[in-house]
Amino acid sequence: MGRLHRYLFRRLLSLLGTLLGVTILIFLLVQLIPGDPVQYLLGEYPTEEAIAAMNAQLGLDQPWIMRYFHYVGKLLQGDLGTSYFTGITVWQEIQDRFPITLQLALYSIIIATVVGIIIGMIAAVKQNTWVDRLVVFISLLGISAPGFWIALFLIWIFAYQLSIFPISGYDGFFSLVLPSITLALGGAGMIARMTRSSMLDVIKQEYMRTAQAKGAPRTSVILMHGLQNAIIPVMTLIGLEFGSLLAGAIVTETVFSLQGLGSLAIEAIGKRDLPTIQGIVFFAAVLFALTNLLVDLLYTLFDPRIKYE
Amino acid sequence: MMKSRRAWGSLASIGLSMTLLLAACSSNTSVSQNNSSTPQPPATATEGGTLVVAAPVEPDTLDSQKSTWLDTTNSQAYDSFLSRDMQGKLVPHLAESWEVSDDGKVWTLKLRQDVKFHSGAPLTAEAAKISIERFAEISPVKDLAGPIEKVEAADPNTVKITFKEPFAPFANMLLGTFITPLDPERLKEKGDQFGEAPSATGPFMNPETKRGASVTYVKNPDYKWGQVYADNPGAPYVDKIVFRFLKDDDTRILEFKKGTIHILQEVPTTYVQELQAVPGVKIETSMEQGMKYLGFNNQKEVFKDVRVKQAIAMAVDREPIVQYALSGFAKPIFGPLPPTIPGHSEKIENMAKEMYGYNVEKAKQLLAEAGYTDSNGDGILEKDGKPFSLELLLMDDPVLQRVAQILQNQLKEIGLDIRIAVTDAATVKDRAIKGNHELFLLYFGLNDPDILYLLMETSNSKRVHYSDPKVDELLTKGRTTLKEEERMKVYEEAMEILVKNPPWVPLYVTESVTATRNIEGYKLNPFTGDILFGDIKITK
Repeated sequence: MGRLHRYLFRRLLSLLGTLLGVTILIFLLVQLIPGDPVQYLLGEYPTEEAIAAMNAQLGLDQPWIMRYFHYVGKLLQGDLGTSYFTGITVWQEIQDRFPITLQLALYSIIIATVVGIIIGMIAAVKQNTWVDRLVVFISLLGISAPGFWIALFLIWIFAYQLSIFPISGYDGFFSLVLPSITLALGGAGMIARMTRSSMLDVIKQEYMRTAQAKGAPRTSVILMHGLQNAIIPVMTLIGLEFGSLLAGAIVTETVFSLQGLGSLAIEAIGKRDLPTIQGIVFFAAVLFALTNLLVDLLYTLFDPRIKYE
Repeated sequence: MMKSRRAWGSLASIGLSMTLLLAACSSNTSVSQNNSSTPQPPATATEGGTLVVAAPVEPDTLDSQKSTWLDTTNSQAYDSFLSRDMQGKLVPHLAESWEVSDDGKVWTLKLRQDVKFHSGAPLTAEAAKISIERFAEISPVKDLAGPIEKVEAADPNTVKITFKEPFAPFANMLLGTFITPLDPERLKEKGDQFGEAPSATGPFMNPETKRGASVTYVKNPDYKWGQVYADNPGAPYVDKIVFRFLKDDDTRILEFKKGTIHILQEVPTTYVQELQAVPGVKIETSMEQGMKYLGFNNQKEVFKDVRVKQAIAMAVDREPIVQYALSGFAKPIFGPLPPTIPGHSEKIENMAKEMYGYNVEKAKQLLAEAGYTDSNGDGILEKDGKPFSLELLLMDDPVLQRVAQILQNQLKEIGLDIRIAVTDAATVKDRAIKGNHELFLLYFGLNDPDILYLLMETSNSKRVHYSDPKVDELLTKGRTTLKEEERMKVYEEAMEILVKNPPWVPLYVTESVTATRNIEGYKLNPFTGDILFGDIKITK
């Protein structure tokens, strides 16, 4: 266990370094986008004096390097800043909006993982049959179809025509079914393809033949010996998919009018609400880094050969 | 005020390769029509129920004095001091009468005596005074109300507002609810957070906000001081009103067709036909108090020659723009002010039409006089060896993008090469303010001719960067001239110059489209932008 502790410590330390880098990047990026929040804060026709006063009030008249240190200083105290527009703290805004996005991401990742692994395995076992080709085709479709198109397609059939689900808005679990499926499809496709190719590698291994030769039932050979060995690259992929889920949530939340983090991000970007943009991206970065750390830790669970040094 | 709800672009958090893709959707999904021809039973209007409105933009706050814009979503809890009736005539509202001193500096408002705040406390001059002072101190748009010097409560029902110098646009400022009496008790209690639980005198109250999703108000049962032109000046017929903020057009349309929304605001014109086919749907249009224009950056060398600007103006044919880009839901405009803004002059409009009616030959001739010739025969003119090529900057709005393409084709006719540059609204404004632009498509909106001062007066001209001492003088005079007739004459004079040496090419006035369903009594006042929600009854 000492080893794991040391590993964890090292990883968390490097995580801090990464996050520091992230703050620099977010900050520079936000500086680089053209557009000025003051133009929105003061309405359409502000006077010169009003603009100058607002810039001073928000500290935007300071050089960016000063503002950066100010920002990081606040961040270290756990202060993400306050929205220029709503006057609500960014942390509060994130807390209000994140639950929906988290649910959406969790349901999606569950759907994507279960569906992806199952059909990926079927495709691998039935390699070069029509089942295999169908899976490959469908997963490619899932990966390449644009999110908003899938969303509208699902809304039109299951909400508009069949009235099974609400068209838009958040009203409990039921209203997240279609958005979760929308968001899961791309990931499911990726996971299916990865599972398939990883399984194909494993199936060729000698221990598989040995297991079969011992007379173990085929299903248990595939699941116990095969999947357990094939799962590592798939898990890495699932960890990475989490990032694209957060990004995909922007489109999905917009089409389904869900008041999650994604729709908050889009509004903030449109108005150049700098603290909110920075806060959301930073929050997403932390989340993403932690998820991948978790995935790395889970490796040992599936593969005792992996040790943390 | 038009707001683009769509945005393209990307912001990458580098190192994480996480791309936040800004949502954008096709606006052309065709949805087949359920042609159920079952006859609708005659609907009966009833009182009560919840009215659902799909509004285009979510307000940042419900505190009207902290807002930069007002629309139906954030003004329901408030009443204005004055109003305009459906014919555009100035009429009383919370102020039963008003007068301006001879020197134009003191405005006296006599308040109605039967008005109560949502708390039950009576409206007093003292409360009005506190509110106006708060506006003059904290509102981001306080400059629009002019140089207020002091506010006094002369007696329990009389408010006196004194200006440092006369400011004529103040009357139109009183039509909106930026300047509106707020409940002083609630103000004391909530202070800066007033927007969380606003209390004032309006027809609806106690808003409940779900950030990112909706705002719900309940009716004010004690309301009896509605607009003088309302059919129902008393408490609203409906019990509740919900404003839902649906971001995606396709989703909004499907919700409306499903029957979950009574009033769908800002319907994209491309969907109107589809909605008209739905039984029971009414399409209402209303001309905006503003216009869309093709702006010149007048500081650019190329536009210093007025013939170039005039030639471009003559090369624009508005009819196809209105037909193809807006499906007919707009009116072509040639002069600086649309008919919905006071100060609009038929004389000026006709003069502009006369000068800049579609005339490719005349435009070509003007350009030839200005020294532009097609020396290499590629169809694009040249001057001093350089091709006549300009960038057209616009935001990622589907309508404006269609307009830009049509303009590109039309201007090619006179040998002008247009490079279309589409970006987001914030970038367009930023580039325009910095003067880093050539041609651009933009819009303006306000309920007072003072908009010309805000757009054209040298130190304020941040988009077209126009500068003309005579125009400056006239537009400044327009602000301080309180006699209506005299004031309008001043604007007429200014507009004449703005037509002859045009800062822009006015294009069209949008008719904003609203679709309603299962309600009766819908009425929009084009002069204030108000919808009389109190008059509406739900029929189903």
